[in-house]
Amino acid sequence: MAQIYDYLVIGAGPAGMAAAIETSNAGLSVLVLDQASSAGGQIYRNLGHADKQQTSVLGSNYGAGKPLLECFMAANCDYQSSVQVWHIETHTKGFLVAAIVAGETKSFLTSHLLLAHGAMERPMAITGWHKPGVLTAGAGQILLKSSALMPKEVVLVGSGPLLLLLAQQYRVAGVAIKAILDTTPKSNYWYAIPWLVAGLTNPMELFKGLWLTLVQRIKIPYISGVSHLEVMGDEQVSGVKYTVSDRVYNIDCKLVMLHQGIIAQTQMAQMLRCAMVWNERQQCWQTKADVMGYTSIPGVQVAGDGGSIGGALLAQIEGRVAGMGRVFNTPVVSPWHKKWVYSWLRFRVKQLRWARGLVDRLYRPAEWLSKPADQTIVCRCEQVNAKTIRSIVNSGCAGVNQLKRFTRAGMGACQGRQCGLNLSHLVAQTQQRPMAEVEPLSVRPPLSPINLGQLAKSLRL
Amino acid sequence: MSDFLFNHLLDDAHQCPIIVNGVACQVPEQLNVAAALLYLGHLANRQHPVSGELRGSYCHAGFCFECLVAIDGQANQRACLTQITPNMSINTALAGVN
Repeated sequence: MAQIYDYLVIGAGPAGMAAAIETSNAGLSVLVLDQASSAGGQIYRNLGHADKQQTSVLGSNYGAGKPLLECFMAANCDYQSSVQVWHIETHTKGFLVAAIVAGETKSFLTSHLLLAHGAMERPMAITGWHKPGVLTAGAGQILLKSSALMPKEVVLVGSGPLLLLLAQQYRVAGVAIKAILDTTPKSNYWYAIPWLVAGLTNPMELFKGLWLTLVQRIKIPYISGVSHLEVMGDEQVSGVKYTVSDRVYNIDCKLVMLHQGIIAQTQMAQMLRCAMVWNERQQCWQTKADVMGYTSIPGVQVAGDGGSIGGALLAQIEGRVAGMGRVFNTPVVSPWHKKWVYSWLRFRVKQLRWARGLVDRLYRPAEWLSKPADQTIVCRCEQVNAKTIRSIVNSGCAGVNQLKRFTRAGMGACQGRQCGLNLSHLVAQTQQRPMAEVEPLSVRPPLSPINLGQLAKSLRL
Repeated sequence: MSDFLFNHLLDDAHQCPIIVNGVACQVPEQLNVAAALLYLGHLANRQHPVSGELRGSYCHAGFCFECLVAIDGQANQRACLTQITPNMSINTALAGVN
């Protein structure tokens, strides 16, 4: 019989690491499964092995993860890297997590589960976004962190803190940034003003953010108020076409990096049938959870950006809170001051989430970006364009899941990760319903590809 | 197709031999397969099975499945999640192109 863990954490980013430290220090048996080859998540990716030159380019927020990473590596928990979780289900003993480790199928049992798998970039469906030479800003940063690779020349397109951070890092590394095409609607700045009060509760971050924005605006050709983007080129990218104040411009380039914020991943929680909610402020689906991370399914918690987007600092606190919540659920006697720390941290979670409202409002994606042009490929995997989707919805399709069966959109290899949100948008717009009423794409196993041999072996626990 | 659009940040990186489409190449050893292909100038790594259009790696985080290539004979592997190893054989799926 396989070991039954007290706590299984999926993801070794700030949230997952903090939760694992908290629970393993209390004496619980903890297992951490992570997709990457080294711990740190996306924010501290490869931090343990990064070269000095890389760390200096990536800046102080990257290096800030060192103490947490060291504490995690010293913690008394089981940690497996390069793990692909392909299935999760409820089990008589709690939960069964099926994964592929080094080509072999392995199943793990646990009584409690923490989903700390982080977020993904909001898909930015503009015409030509599927051409070779278009990457995401997140991809640009991953290349810098894990491979020390950077483009010679690039155009950055979109909106959001990550785009500006990448611009800063690329500038320090000596990359020629031809332009930043900023899609942030000008009205966002007005709408964000009331949120300044919230932002001021986290003054250090606010100051850093303002500084970052100003520096890029001064040092890089910065074009704001951009709309109607189109990536040009036949077989690969040759340029970007965009509109500013009703005038159309062209910029030549071979590499484009897109970004319009990040959204929570919900696949695993959906697989466990946790309740979902539409977050209007962050414009994405997320797992319904309380401040301690408890979802609608007993024994399942979420923490970090996989729950709701809040950044690394908040993720780390949420992870700690989730871990503490788990420990209080056991007969283990905690030191007297833990309850106080727990209350304080839960307050910090609420406060930082409120402060995040400023970023959410300021960088709320432009509405036209959720209304792709007819010829735009919405589902990259199955090559389905917006026109096809609109016509099927118009002919009486009930929702995204029926749409999937009619058009194959969302049925490809990425399992709707790159199109799901935009499909929901298109259904909501065409049927004139609010997003909260349109269900998200349903999720089915396997969460990542698995061959038949692996599947057959996985039936034996 | 063989424009070198990417630079490696570290000048003194150890090199690792790999084989791309039957051609022996040297790339910095810390790269994963998707990064190695970009480094070598391969922006596209497959053709779309329906339209035949060229596709290249996009998210580099394991979400988008655009970077699928054959690695050591095993088809449809996510290049961005696979670290290179010495003498690894990588085949892009670009039949009729190049």
